[in-house]
Amino acid sequence: MSHFVIIIRASVYVLIFFALLILFYIVLRRIYQQVNDKRFNLRYVRIEEGLLNALSTSGPESAVRLAEEYKRFPDVLTKLLLDYAKLLSGPEREQLKIIFRIALEKKSLRDLRSRRTIRRLRATRLLGFFIDPLKMGSMLKLLEDKPIVRLAAVQAISRLPTPETLGLVFQAFESDLCPNIHSYINIILSLGAKAEVNIHEALKKPISQEKIALLIELVGAIPLRSLYLDILSFADHPEKEVRIKVARALGGLSIPDSVPVLIRLASDTAWEVQAQAVKGLGRLKSPEALDILAEAFFSKNWHVRFNARSGLMSLGEVGVKRLEEISQQTRDAYAAAMAAMALHDLYLSCEQMNT
Amino acid sequence: MIGLLSVLFHIFSYLVLIYFLLLNGFYLFFIILSFFGISRYRHRTEYVRMEEIFLSPLAKPISIIAPAYNEENSIVESVRNLLSLEYPQYEVIVVNDGSMDSTLKKLIEAFGLKKTQWVFRKVADHKPIRCIYICPTNTKLIVVDKLNGKKADAMNAGLNIAHYPLFCAIDSDCLIDRDSLLRVVRPFLEDPERTVGVGGIIRLVNGCSVKSGQVTRIRLPRNILARFQTLEYFRAFLGGRIGMSLIKSILIISGAFGVFRKDIVLKCGGYRSASIGEDLDLVVRLRKYLQDHKTPYAIHFLPDPICWTEVPETLKALGRQRNRWHRGLIEAFIYNRRMIFNPHYGVTGLFAMPFYLFFELLGPLIELAGYMIFALCLFLGLVNYPFAFIFFLLSIALGTLLSVSALLLEEFSLRRFPRTSDVLLMAVYCILENIFYRQYLAFVRCKAFFDYLHGKKEWGAMDKKGFSEEIPCP
Repeated sequence: MSHFVIIIRASVYVLIFFALLILFYIVLRRIYQQVNDKRFNLRYVRIEEGLLNALSTSGPESAVRLAEEYKRFPDVLTKLLLDYAKLLSGPEREQLKIIFRIALEKKSLRDLRSRRTIRRLRATRLLGFFIDPLKMGSMLKLLEDKPIVRLAAVQAISRLPTPETLGLVFQAFESDLCPNIHSYINIILSLGAKAEVNIHEALKKPISQEKIALLIELVGAIPLRSLYLDILSFADHPEKEVRIKVARALGGLSIPDSVPVLIRLASDTAWEVQAQAVKGLGRLKSPEALDILAEAFFSKNWHVRFNARSGLMSLGEVGVKRLEEISQQTRDAYAAAMAAMALHDLYLSCEQMNT
Repeated sequence: MIGLLSVLFHIFSYLVLIYFLLLNGFYLFFIILSFFGISRYRHRTEYVRMEEIFLSPLAKPISIIAPAYNEENSIVESVRNLLSLEYPQYEVIVVNDGSMDSTLKKLIEAFGLKKTQWVFRKVADHKPIRCIYICPTNTKLIVVDKLNGKKADAMNAGLNIAHYPLFCAIDSDCLIDRDSLLRVVRPFLEDPERTVGVGGIIRLVNGCSVKSGQVTRIRLPRNILARFQTLEYFRAFLGGRIGMSLIKSILIISGAFGVFRKDIVLKCGGYRSASIGEDLDLVVRLRKYLQDHKTPYAIHFLPDPICWTEVPETLKALGRQRNRWHRGLIEAFIYNRRMIFNPHYGVTGLFAMPFYLFFELLGPLIELAGYMIFALCLFLGLVNYPFAFIFFLLSIALGTLLSVSALLLEEFSLRRFPRTSDVLLMAVYCILENIFYRQYLAFVRCKAFFDYLHGKKEWGAMDKKGFSEEIPCP
């Protein structure tokens, strides 16, 4: 027992010692961090002054000198370049690129292959702003990286919408056997209208149905109205998933010519397609769709009804009249209540506009 | 007889010692894990820009659901806080859960609410809704007035009204930092397929100054109980939850601040209306559902999206709150008992659930039994005084070490206390909390077992002061 007590007593001393040590460390760390932050800020301000000088001159000399002088402080330079990259564009950013190329490019490209996530992340952030588009291929590998790096890579790639980058992104997308769908959606969506030609070409290729559906969805989400005819050809696709995307994309494009196609899709066998088509018709505000929308109010599916409600609300006076009729009918109490709610919301918004 | 008791006492002493060492060993392990987790997180997020998330077309819209019951003192300030958050697209659904005070009246007056006839799809079950109000001047705000259920019931009503794919469960007496939504949503952007839930950290608003719904000055609470709770929250959130999150064992995302995917939660049937500990219950059922359906998933806990909450400042209110939390834990474990030690549920069934069972659920019973047997032996003269004293010192030293380590984690994560003197003062509380405060909590948590067996279902509301306005610095 006495040995046991001795062990416990020793443990008590050890624990107290560690507790005091941690406390001491906290205080020391606070002091150290204050000093460190102060030093970092001083360097930052000094380099920033140099950078502002370089930005006010037209030649690259000041930028080259600045990069040579301060490449010993990669952390400060990284922060400064990232802070200014967001603020500057066009020729001013060229000066930042010069500093990057001299002081940080080699390190950043090396860091892309680093085992440490933080280095890959930092490199991705920097390269996203300053990389030569021809070297962008090295960043595509990061789309299979950890989520935090992947998102940074997506943001970086979409910041460089050159034809070379686009070519690389689509090449990777088409050849990828198991595409990281969300990463590609994110990139292409962020590229916006610049991806139009590539989507147009990709839709003609024999790629998987999943990829086709993704591209159709993107046409509507961006939206790319010139690709309207390209997606129409998929309206009768045997796969429900593709038809859903077509209906959704047509709604997003808001092209009046698509009303007949949407009316056809509104009576599709799958309720998901119906719901998207009804939503699209509502967005188009076409009087031709009035009867279809009113009919959809009585659908067995809640989503179809809800979208029909939004559609009729957007149709103005004719829509209101039809809503009043539905609210007064007695064969479907749920539809009547939903129509009454829609009318009430419309009155409230009118009241708000008047006040 | 005395001899037999003496043997039993010795056996029990060793069992308690083993239990005690195991418990603290696990806590220490989680703190070490958290230390690495927080360092890694801090370094990585250094290169994440919140404004990019704000501008990203990928940021999914969020429905914030805030159930409110008798919150007349803080509701307007809280809703203002929610309406001023930085996020591209969101709505705020306040569910007045049959408040007896003027919560609803205050909301109507402050935001000029108008009645609306709302038709919605009742996917999750809840008590009837009396009326739904909308704010004509701020379309983001929806107020639902319903009959009193419980928090889970109110959350279900909010879920049925919510329009967006993600929802944020928040207590209506809380304040969240302006960029907290952007921070908490980041895992949904990075890993949209797998992420189903993300929790943020809860901190104490007691003692802090609040202006326009935002915490403007952070200070230690003046109340002693609130200071103990500050330490406790550090240990629980920075130590326990981050550590458990790293080994994919987190079973609770605080009901005060957590974001979830609505579709998955609705597939699980929403919140269980009858549950008292709805936050724990939801996460456990989510894990069960996703593992039953072999769906890859991730539930994260992040150390920097901050939610500020007011904690009880009287023993009575604290006792009521902890009693309810423990009843919630008991209930959730009884409801999901099939998952315990079930290899089908992987780390959840084989580690997280047993850990919570032995160390969180049964912990106070074992602790209180230890105190009682010690008192009995003291009475019978069976106590080896040097051993008892040194064991007592050991428990204080270990408790202090854990709390000081939690202070260190705070330093590593957010370092929100600007004054070093506050940290030193908290170090004193690390020692003091081992005397009386811990024992009191063990007692009220034990009482929860009896209350649960007696079918006590009451919520145990606490008296709220509301948020203190900013005091100008001298």
